[in-house]
Amino acid sequence: MKLTFLYNPVFQIRRVRYKLLVVMKLTAILLLIGTMHLSAASYSQNVTVSRKNTTLETVFNDIKRQTGYLFFYNGKINLNKSKLNVELKAVPLEEALQACLVNQNLTYDIVDKTIVIRNKLTDNTSGTATSRFIDISGKVIDSETKQSIPGVNITVKNNKDLRGQTNSDGNFRINAQIGDVLVFSYIGYKIKEVKITDTKPLTVNLSTLVNTIDDVVITGYQTIKKDSYTGNAVTVSGEELKRVNPQNLLQSIQAFDPSFKLLENNLAGSNPNRLPNINVRGSSSLPSGNGEVLRRDNISGNINMPAFILDGFEVNVQKVFDLDINRVASVTLLKDAAATAIYGSRAANGVLVIVTKAPKEGRLLIEYNYETSINSPDLSDYQVLNASEKLQYEKLAGLYDRNVVNRPQDELDQLYYNKLANVVGGVDSYWLSQPVRTAVGQKHSVNLQGGSETFRYGVDLRYQARPGVMKGSSRNQYSGGMNFQYNKDNKFQFRNDLSITQMEARESPYGNFANYVRMNPYYPIKDANGTVLREVDTWKNQAGDQDIVLNPLYDAGLSSFNKSAYTEIIDNLSAELQLAKDLRLKGQMSLTSRMNTDDIFTSPMANEFYFYGADRLDEKGSYTDRNRKEVYWDGNMRLTWFKQLGNHALNVLGGVNIRTELSDEKEVTAIGFANDRFTSIGFAKGFGDEGRPQSSINNSRLFGSFLSTNYSYKNKYLLDATLRIDGSSKFGLENKLAPFWSVGLGWNLHQEKFLADNPVISQLRLKVSTGLTGSVEFAPYLSRTTYKYLNGNWYSTGIGAIVNNYGNENLSWQKTQMTDIGIDLGLFHDRVFISPRIYRKFTKDILADITLPPSTGFFSYKENLGDMENKGAEISIKWDVIRKKDWSINFTANMVANRNKIVRISNALKKYNDRANDLQSVDPKDGGFKGIPLLRYNEGQSINAIYAVPSLGIDPENGRELYRKKDGTLTYAYDKSDIVVVGNADPKANGFFSTTFTYKRFMLSATFETHFGGDMYNQTLVDRIENADPRYNVDKRVFEEKWKKSGDVVFYKNIADLGTTEVNSRFVQPDNMINLSSLYLSYDLDKKYASKLKMSNLRFSATANDLARWSSVKQERGIDYPFARSLTFSINATF
Amino acid sequence: MKLRLIISLLLLIATISSCKKWLEVEPESEISAPVLFSTENGFMEALNGIYNRCSETDLYGKELTFGTPEVLAQNYTMGYNEGLNYTPTSQYNYNDSKFIERKDKIWAGLYNAIVNANLILENIDKKKNIFTGVNYGLIKGEALALRAYLHFDLLRLFAPSYLRNASGKGVPYASAYTKDITSMSSVSEVIEKALTDLEAAKKLLAQDPIRSAGYLVNYPVITDTTTNTEERASIPFLQNRRHRLNYYAVCGELARVYLYKNDKTNALNNALEVINAKKFPWTTKADFNAFEEAKKDRILYKELVFAWYIPKSWYVPGPTEDIKENWFVTGTRGLYLNEDAAKSIYETSTGTIDLRFKNWLSITGVGAAKTYDIVKYNRNSQSDASTANLHYLMAPAIRLSELYYIAAECTYPADPQKAITYINTVRFQRDKEDLNVNSQEEFTTALIKECRKEWLGEGQLFYMYKRLNRAIIGQTGTTIPATDKILVLPLPQDEVVYGGR
Repeated sequence: MKLTFLYNPVFQIRRVRYKLLVVMKLTAILLLIGTMHLSAASYSQNVTVSRKNTTLETVFNDIKRQTGYLFFYNGKINLNKSKLNVELKAVPLEEALQACLVNQNLTYDIVDKTIVIRNKLTDNTSGTATSRFIDISGKVIDSETKQSIPGVNITVKNNKDLRGQTNSDGNFRINAQIGDVLVFSYIGYKIKEVKITDTKPLTVNLSTLVNTIDDVVITGYQTIKKDSYTGNAVTVSGEELKRVNPQNLLQSIQAFDPSFKLLENNLAGSNPNRLPNINVRGSSSLPSGNGEVLRRDNISGNINMPAFILDGFEVNVQKVFDLDINRVASVTLLKDAAATAIYGSRAANGVLVIVTKAPKEGRLLIEYNYETSINSPDLSDYQVLNASEKLQYEKLAGLYDRNVVNRPQDELDQLYYNKLANVVGGVDSYWLSQPVRTAVGQKHSVNLQGGSETFRYGVDLRYQARPGVMKGSSRNQYSGGMNFQYNKDNKFQFRNDLSITQMEARESPYGNFANYVRMNPYYPIKDANGTVLREVDTWKNQAGDQDIVLNPLYDAGLSSFNKSAYTEIIDNLSAELQLAKDLRLKGQMSLTSRMNTDDIFTSPMANEFYFYGADRLDEKGSYTDRNRKEVYWDGNMRLTWFKQLGNHALNVLGGVNIRTELSDEKEVTAIGFANDRFTSIGFAKGFGDEGRPQSSINNSRLFGSFLSTNYSYKNKYLLDATLRIDGSSKFGLENKLAPFWSVGLGWNLHQEKFLADNPVISQLRLKVSTGLTGSVEFAPYLSRTTYKYLNGNWYSTGIGAIVNNYGNENLSWQKTQMTDIGIDLGLFHDRVFISPRIYRKFTKDILADITLPPSTGFFSYKENLGDMENKGAEISIKWDVIRKKDWSINFTANMVANRNKIVRISNALKKYNDRANDLQSVDPKDGGFKGIPLLRYNEGQSINAIYAVPSLGIDPENGRELYRKKDGTLTYAYDKSDIVVVGNADPKANGFFSTTFTYKRFMLSATFETHFGGDMYNQTLVDRIENADPRYNVDKRVFEEKWKKSGDVVFYKNIADLGTTEVNSRFVQPDNMINLSSLYLSYDLDKKYASKLKMSNLRFSATANDLARWSSVKQERGIDYPFARSLTFSINATF
Repeated sequence: MKLRLIISLLLLIATISSCKKWLEVEPESEISAPVLFSTENGFMEALNGIYNRCSETDLYGKELTFGTPEVLAQNYTMGYNEGLNYTPTSQYNYNDSKFIERKDKIWAGLYNAIVNANLILENIDKKKNIFTGVNYGLIKGEALALRAYLHFDLLRLFAPSYLRNASGKGVPYASAYTKDITSMSSVSEVIEKALTDLEAAKKLLAQDPIRSAGYLVNYPVITDTTTNTEERASIPFLQNRRHRLNYYAVCGELARVYLYKNDKTNALNNALEVINAKKFPWTTKADFNAFEEAKKDRILYKELVFAWYIPKSWYVPGPTEDIKENWFVTGTRGLYLNEDAAKSIYETSTGTIDLRFKNWLSITGVGAAKTYDIVKYNRNSQSDASTANLHYLMAPAIRLSELYYIAAECTYPADPQKAITYINTVRFQRDKEDLNVNSQEEFTTALIKECRKEWLGEGQLFYMYKRLNRAIIGQTGTTIPATDKILVLPLPQDEVVYGGR
């Protein structure tokens, strides 16, 4: 009660000039009190203080105790600055204060019973100085819009006591001396310094910061000013990312830096449950392990993934994939060694640092975001025949010709007329539309935040439904988070973030999309009663064997399911302590616990079991139950030291990082289900032949210590150096500790005299960096000789254990030497910003299988053998074309060209090539890849090279394909030993360009993706035209001319040739593509109207993704799962 | 501030230096070699593992018992449309892909088992102090014996015979756990190395419980401990010594190897050591002839000096689909002999009916299309219980009869009469009248005939032809001349390419 009374006068004063004060800090208030010259009455209270070599604080405490007066001063006044001797005996309070403050350059005011201490102003009270102070007035405006800016803070450099602010019209008035430098600062604008030369009114232009986070680089361990950093990092705000693709964070990162490349998987299409495969600056790994032959169009495995760091801790790609984009504050992609070396053994493939939003201080702020997304399947690449065309084609292909099929003609006629009856009767099923749908997803997310400077809190909740375009497929997430932050005078900080995520995913019960594409349109889907048919057709071959065509839709009606779910709890705890002025200690600890479950039930009635004989009646139906428990601990402790000594600025970071990963997976498959209704695993009859439960426990540990220095001289010459030593349990026993390092040099040419006032060049920086980073993406126990127990097969004298692998104790990490040269060039006040880069990424000691002679007892072992090189160039251009009050246009382009080369491979990969050659001529139904190009590895070639036999096309003379042998001679005989590189799937360049247009409160932005100059093997031409099985549906182009008679100059082979065309260069086509990957439109409601709705902000936006696509290759896309186009509407409201 | 900095740095250094230990993570769903070899049990498990490995179908669990070598010895009639894909093998077509696959698996499988033995041998001496009782001798002795046994079979398959080319290219004798390529040894070198290992094993196995008088060999279903003590030991590891390479098995193997290099003195001594031990009783005719499946002994269990324990994988009705569907089926798709071949092998035209013919062959078909199924490995089809049969289900490896045959062969030049007595001892057990031969040639021919009868479906006959460099006798009496082309299986392609052979 007493206190309130005491402070009343202060508040009264504030009310007087409320408008001006609203954004001012306490210092300003205190200043005003001073200028008001409140006269102080004399106080009868007397004070007695006797102290030697003491501080003001102690004296003030004495006075407070004796008088009951409170002291009031702001944090900038340092009461402990100097020592003083006080000898006062029963002197009046005012006298005592004067005596104490006389040498401290401080003065005081007494307001009621509070003593306000403030700096003594060297103002006009002192007569000698008055003449030199002049009254400076002026106006502050936005350099682009020419609008005045109210509330701009103005200080005088070298005299922090003089300060002012612009009023609501942007005008200001301040006392200063000629030669003083005025500093203008305002949130969202660049700080501007103006030197006073005369008394004329000033007009100060402030230019906006296009993006505030553009100016710093967040490495996950520290935040560094961008203009003194030599690393290569791209920072994008969450807001910008959301604009490009609100559904897929990873997809939109790609648009800002195409070096971060999501590999398109033509088989998986837009399956919402398929995690993308990503590489940064090209592939840097070779396959190892299972030795499976890889198709060119379906490269799996995540051996190339960059490291994902979320709020300082490593997470997997799934976490990022499922992250609520509204929670993302910024994403930083670290690419070169200077930027990534601090992550040591995880850095070789780049590092993506994601920072989530921290709560802001202030009153309770509620942000609500609603999104609805409409996804529709993109079937435009599918050009299949309709019913009558199909039947016509079958007839042409000779399916009903006794001479071709070798069945009795009347049987064939009957078959034909049955089908014709269907066609005439109007059956024209569009099978493609059966398993797909237009899926509407939605997302609600609420975010609450607020608190004081000392204590802040945030709570967020999200529900997101992501249905896929195939019926029944979905990925739904629920998440909740809570974080709070305590900050004591910036000296001690404490923060805890807790988040819980629940994800539920379902695969479509409709199965493989390809099964629908091949269905003939003249097949009815349902019978007359509306029941889905099961057997829709039967083809017979010469031998009379039946080929029964089953309706894929039948499966969809059963109770089969394939679902997976996880529950994830993450808690991050961090504390920061200021040890000394420039030295801070920060500790972080994170626990992630994730429980994954997969449940896959295939109904006993499923088509899969249709052909099971009577003896396997009790083996129909299967249920796989898999669960995996993952626990990750991650902690780090680091010291940062920042020192500015004259022209030298030094920023040193040192620390340690510990991480443990544990994953425990168990799996069991049961078979034999009685019927479609009993879908629980308990109804199974038993296990299959190899049906014993499986389990695998993987445990790995990482320890790293690092030291990183960022030094700059006069902000002109820059140096970054990083050293990290990592130890990992995955390494061989002989190689437990791995050193990684980087060095970067930079030169800010724009800070040099000769460019200082250059009208064109506003920024010019040269950067060079090099370093060594590593990758340990391999199974945890490869370096050890391990034994496995033969649980299922005991010997009569006890259980046996046999050796599993040859453990290579010398196994080490994969090393990547990266060298980067780049320029940052800003023109016309950075309105045009161009940053070209060139790089070379040389990865050596890639983990590879080495084939051994079997007399060693093993077939292969792991060794660090294999080198790969990626060279490339990147360019990023930003251009603010127009920036006016009401409207603006800007343009950005990001292009990348990467060249991959395999430098050295192991004998196992050479052996792999032989196996690929063998399988290349084996029919797919026998497990081969006839007609499908396979990956091969050859030194000097790109990993993305396309291998086939060179073809000169179809010989018009006889309709046979003419091949070129390795020795240059021509032949009609296909020989797989003639397989050579016939193309390269690496594009000459790929990238994105986008343009943003704003008009008043509208924003329109379009992003295009393009790649060109590469090659593609058009599988559709092979599978669905050239080698098409006429019994099933095919591409419309099947009617294009095939060779029929001598002299036909055509693309396709002899119509009478029913053999399978093997891989050859005829189907390699130039791959040029442009895709309107994103179109965004938003409208911010006028604050006037928004406030009527009790909102501070209301935004409507719409994003369309993958709206239109032009490609030089006409190929079916999305084989197992179609691609989707999506349209997302969102509403963002802040209360 | 400086002090704090120093403390922090010290802490940092302390953590780094202690982290090396922390980084050593032991696998949990598998076990690392040092952990396994830290206990006596671990060594026992590693040893059992080798026998397990050998009893898989690519080795003695099928292929080396009644597979490739048996087909090469012309012991099966290959029917039209046979389900085994062995016809090209029976015609010595070594380019047949199935043959190549099986042969490569034999090579790789045997060396894989050898590497397991080498791992034990590499570790056991460092841990000598952890062993109790006779275990050290048993484990080390058996590991050495296995190494020799497996290398000897490799030699007999993939190298020319000692008789033809003792200095010829043999096989690599792998005696260390390494990824480095072991150089090729000559045939005689391999034999010497095997003999060294076996002799060492014999010494180490001196304390083998099977040598004690109290160790009585009998059927496991006999629970009377006065007549059966094979399972009396407190732990399974010391039971059923005949399921592992025991002392007498090593003697038997030594006899085999010495005979292979034509060292008849040592071969005889070792063979006689087994014979004279009188540890292995002959199977009674009642047991051999028993009608009831549960009481029938087809594999002459008590006469097995050493055999691989095949838990349940291939006896009918075993769960292994391949063997069930393709081998042990009635009729002409599986293991069978046509009438002429069966009768010719067992010489049914003269003298008494051989018990082996009666019990190992089962007539199917009628009239002119009569065939005989080989039912040597049939088991009680009525039950899956472990006691369903009189004996465990085994793949025979060394029989008592083989030692009689070795003794006979070694004795003949010096004492033909005694040699024939050895053969007649076996013939007597099989209900065959005594044999009479008058020359070395007649003796050898007769001996081969005897072996063929005794070893049907056991994979040993091929090695005998090769050792003696004798023409292989076909199904209908035709002969296939012995040449290295058919007697030496080609090395696997991977071995040639990656081993530089």
